[in-house]
Amino acid sequence: MTAVIAADGLGKRYRRQWALADCTLSIPAGNVVGLVGPNGAGKTTLLNLAVGLLAPDAGTIEVLGASPAAGPAQLARVGFLAQDSPVYAGLSVADHLKLGAHLNTDWDAGLAHGRLERLDIDPSQKAATLSGGQRAQLALTLAIAKRPELLILDEPVASLDPLARREFLQDLMEAAAEQELSVVLSSHLIADLERVCDYLVVLVGSRVRVAGPVDELLATHYLLSGPRRDPASLPDGLEVISASHTDVQTTLLVRTSGPVLDPAWTVSQVGLEDLALAYMSQATRRRRRDNNHHLEVQK
Amino acid sequence: MIWLTWRQFRVQALTAAAALAAFAILLAATGPQLASLYSTSKVIDCHGFACNNAANAFFSSLAGLDKVVYPLGIGVILAAPAIIGIFWGAPLIAREFETRTFNLAWTQGVTRAQWLAVKLALTGLAAMAVTEALSLIYAWWASPISKVIGRGQGGPQLFSQGPFSSVIFASHGITPLGYAAFAFTLGTAAGVLTRRALPAMAITLAIFAAVQLAMPLAIRPHLVSPSHTTASIYAADEAFGSLTADVVPGQRNAWIISSQALNAAGHPVSAIPAACANPPGAPGEKGGTSAITPAQCMQKRGYREAISYVPTSRYWTLQWTETAIFLALALALAWFSFWRLGRRRA
Repeated sequence: MTAVIAADGLGKRYRRQWALADCTLSIPAGNVVGLVGPNGAGKTTLLNLAVGLLAPDAGTIEVLGASPAAGPAQLARVGFLAQDSPVYAGLSVADHLKLGAHLNTDWDAGLAHGRLERLDIDPSQKAATLSGGQRAQLALTLAIAKRPELLILDEPVASLDPLARREFLQDLMEAAAEQELSVVLSSHLIADLERVCDYLVVLVGSRVRVAGPVDELLATHYLLSGPRRDPASLPDGLEVISASHTDVQTTLLVRTSGPVLDPAWTVSQVGLEDLALAYMSQATRRRRRDNNHHLEVQK
Repeated sequence: MIWLTWRQFRVQALTAAAALAAFAILLAATGPQLASLYSTSKVIDCHGFACNNAANAFFSSLAGLDKVVYPLGIGVILAAPAIIGIFWGAPLIAREFETRTFNLAWTQGVTRAQWLAVKLALTGLAAMAVTEALSLIYAWWASPISKVIGRGQGGPQLFSQGPFSSVIFASHGITPLGYAAFAFTLGTAAGVLTRRALPAMAITLAIFAAVQLAMPLAIRPHLVSPSHTTASIYAADEAFGSLTADVVPGQRNAWIISSQALNAAGHPVSAIPAACANPPGAPGEKGGTSAITPAQCMQKRGYREAISYVPTSRYWTLQWTETAIFLALALALAWFSFWRLGRRRA
């Protein structure tokens, strides 16, 4: 199966600062993919590269097997919802639908009108007067009604209140299921993604820390707690993602393919949020250590 | 794409149409009066010096309104490209960056190049059409005045300028097309570069004003090869006593690039000879014994005037050349916008 997004050594530089460096990943089709990472991890840059709004300064990226925004055909296959859902303030909702109809060959007018009717958005309303949630819905409608194969959303719910957030994501899932879309959405809040994603990519400092189907990730990660001991003394096949210690107790988040048999440990399941956070803090810790090392060398 | 371009341009287009209509109404209201004053004036069948008197009479018969409308019209035509560059060109792309709507526009099923091509072509053609329409309406209105200027010298300074004078040349013929295309693409390119409408507007105004000044002062005189003639210093001088030529004898509307007074031996002179500087009894002087002007005095001593000039027969060559230069600049600026956006640095 073709990857919806395949990047190899991908990099993007703004002046001398690399916003994304040496990013290699492959996201299989047919998933709702959550792309998480702290602010500044390069999520927006990666997604902008995927829709062709940016061109890479290093490496390659292919979307649905072709170069992003290579031509009208490729543009038609990918729907995009940018951060904060920009729309034309001076145009009405109906104008936006006309825009979609004029600029896309496979435009589904029935779908677009049906969605807005169901969402109770007045077509004659100016886009400037829409609420944040409605604006996001309008932008999503534009992206869906062009009938793409892949829908890319950059922080689609970041500016929405919790209720609008839930409604938006629910609606997105329904649309994705109906049209058999592959979806990639980014967020720095794992809680938002937990409900909707079946595939998770954790991106920290341009690097993919972990990527895989959500159920597989949950089945291979455990939280272990027991008497204090050195994590280095663990058997092979157990990869420690994060460790915390008190005077008497050690808590570990580990990745393993097999069961944990040591009776000294209390084994419990780990949630997706804890899992992702563990990978993010691991990366942060590592970076800090590198920096410290760097400072010592300079002395 | 055409629909979207029109939808986003609609308000500006209607504003321009309204301004054009107001201009046309103003000129249509005063034009017939001007034409009838001309048709009853003595300029039509005058000869020689009588033409100067007839021209003077015509200009003094113009009501005050025409003295306002004549320069106003030229001002409007000269300002129109700048206004278009600032209010149509500069925000065209910059606004998309400011509101971040380029994210929306460039991820529809139309390539960025196509998107820009339609926007530039439609808005650019509208810019050229509006400016040229202003110029044509004005040329119709001002044609009596142009004809009188072509026949005789006279009237206030404002009215004594022929088709080659800097403001008249740039506001007549086809040059307004070139200025409009240049100013519009300049605004667009500035907007693509700055991604902010306001700085782009300021840059557009500054550069366009500089070019509009530099063109007549430094560039236009070099666009056509001038003709050369040596004429009677008296006939070439209308200021009665200067060493520079004011007119090419027999070719009232020709454009003098430079002139040099020569003495009888053919050597250049830089000052009026003392004997002629203040001849006794110059006209108007009380108790004058001889009605002789410095020019006549120099004429008698064999002084001549070497003139290099552009004859009216080369008017359209110069019009096409200047317009072609601005259209080429406009194409280069449009190409820059394509190149800059094509680098996909959103």
